[in-house]
Amino acid sequence: MTINVVDHDGHGVAEVVATATPSAGTPAPAADPKSSVMDQRNLAFLPRVLVVGVGTRVDFPNNDTVSHQVYSFSPAKRFQLPLYKGEIHPPVTFDQAGLVVLGCNIHDSMVGYIYVTPAPYFGTTTAAGRLTLTRIPKGDYQVTIWSPFIADAPGSLSRTVHVEGDESTSFALAAALRARPEPRPRRRDWDY
Amino acid sequence: MGPARCPEALRAASAVLLLIATFAFGSSASRADDRFTLDGDLDIRWVHATGDLSFLNGGLGILRFDPDHEGLELGRAFLAPNWRISDLITLHAVVDTYGDHNRNPVDLSEFYFAVHPFPSGAVRWRARVGAFYMPVSLENRGIGWTDVYSITPSALNTWLGEEFRTIGAEVEGRWLGASSGYLGDFAIIGAVYGWNEPAGSLLADRGFAMTDRPSTLFGYLGSPPLDFYHEVDRRPGYYAGLSWRHHDRLEIRALRYDNRADPGAQTESGFYAWHTRFSSAGARLEPGEHWTFIAQYLDGDTVNDDEGYWGTPFLMSFRAAFALASFEWGPERLTARYDTFRTHQPSGVYGPPSNDDGHAWTFAWTRELGDHWQFVAEWLRIVSGFPPRVELAEPVFQAQTEIQLAVRYRFQLAW
Repeated sequence: MTINVVDHDGHGVAEVVATATPSAGTPAPAADPKSSVMDQRNLAFLPRVLVVGVGTRVDFPNNDTVSHQVYSFSPAKRFQLPLYKGEIHPPVTFDQAGLVVLGCNIHDSMVGYIYVTPAPYFGTTTAAGRLTLTRIPKGDYQVTIWSPFIADAPGSLSRTVHVEGDESTSFALAAALRARPEPRPRRRDWDY
Repeated sequence: MGPARCPEALRAASAVLLLIATFAFGSSASRADDRFTLDGDLDIRWVHATGDLSFLNGGLGILRFDPDHEGLELGRAFLAPNWRISDLITLHAVVDTYGDHNRNPVDLSEFYFAVHPFPSGAVRWRARVGAFYMPVSLENRGIGWTDVYSITPSALNTWLGEEFRTIGAEVEGRWLGASSGYLGDFAIIGAVYGWNEPAGSLLADRGFAMTDRPSTLFGYLGSPPLDFYHEVDRRPGYYAGLSWRHHDRLEIRALRYDNRADPGAQTESGFYAWHTRFSSAGARLEPGEHWTFIAQYLDGDTVNDDEGYWGTPFLMSFRAAFALASFEWGPERLTARYDTFRTHQPSGVYGPPSNDDGHAWTFAWTRELGDHWQFVAEWLRIVSGFPPRVELAEPVFQAQTEIQLAVRYRFQLAW
């Protein structure tokens, strides 16, 4: 199944989470939590938006030359990683579905998102706004998209897709995208 | 700074910093955890200045340098250690030398503990205890309170660096918008402090100036020497401020300062309390990759000597503002700034009133040369009217120009 997300000008939208949940009667695979990585580079989370299945263990390596203090106070996962560089902390297990907003207690401009989903099929769109989910059995699926930059009403971001072969579904966004933060590279700023 | 003292200070500061820099090359490769970092900066300048002798050297000039103090000069050398004592507590200090008339050749500018607990909800709390700059300047955003857009800060922020240091405690509550889908935040800041009663005395005496020579905590500023951090009346002062950041592109700050001094109070050693209050508001807009626009405004008054020498208190109102535009591309930055400032004594009790009224233009070009070196060229022209110049048989209105070419070496060590 291919999912396309285009903005109101017809351009593909990157970093959009898409999930596909089998409807009743469609076989669902057994849960298979994996591990994943939320990197930190150039004072930013990389990727900015990560989607994982419930139960996934996520590593938070810091590849910057400065230390970070990563935290979240989102209801789906509250955690904090004391000051670190490199990969000294064990992975964090995301055992509850929901949105987890990440921050760094030292660098306020660092914001990241982990979208924890119970759906067996998921991914994020490429720069062209496209995501291909493979090895999906035939049947009906509830396809939902999410992005911190999409301003459309949630109701318009979910639909049922019937899969027979290589289906394609396209979400055309009506509302303008929210501005993406592009922090300016700073030299030795301390900010008084 | 006597012509003979300058090279001495230059040599000493250079030697210390270059020694540390040598270690820097050794240890920066193995940056372990940066629990302890040490930032350093050495700024050496070639200066050309016109006009009156600077107030820093006993004259009525309102720039840092003057025709008797130009040529090769030490701009500044500082070390800024930052120690993360624990995950949540940091100790930060700035140790400065300017190689001028300061009583202490090396002195502290800031020394404080910062407490930054992890947010447990959308409001994040932070606190600082010690001696630090209040969060008001939108241009002095480099470590050590350096101006990142030019060498010399605006008249307004020059004054705030000269007479103000919060010696007390500050708390900030910041609402972090990211978890609610808003990429910005909003903060309320409040502080209680002491040891700031002399604040206002320099402005009343001299008016506004434009220098990158803030006061240090224990040292002197200017000639005759002034120092600012004394407790006179045992009444704490406060400030309260707001900050709004939108998408890391716009920051708006407002602050109300009142040192709540008792204007009749004085110490046995002769320090008077000046009741100084002001409001400041400003905005910094960074709309894209290249441009920065800043505007900042300050308005207030100061009262000294409740009884008054002539039966009326000495009262002075003041206001200052500036607008700045800066264009940054790659390693280079060009900045233009216009300043306007005015002080006014409604009572006019002392001789020619020390009212000043002026404006200034500043143009600066900054060039980064790799990670450690920076070159800055600045042209600054200030025009002001100041009646006390009459006493020196000088015209009330004068223009002063300063050209500075600075070479800065900067490093950071981490352990």
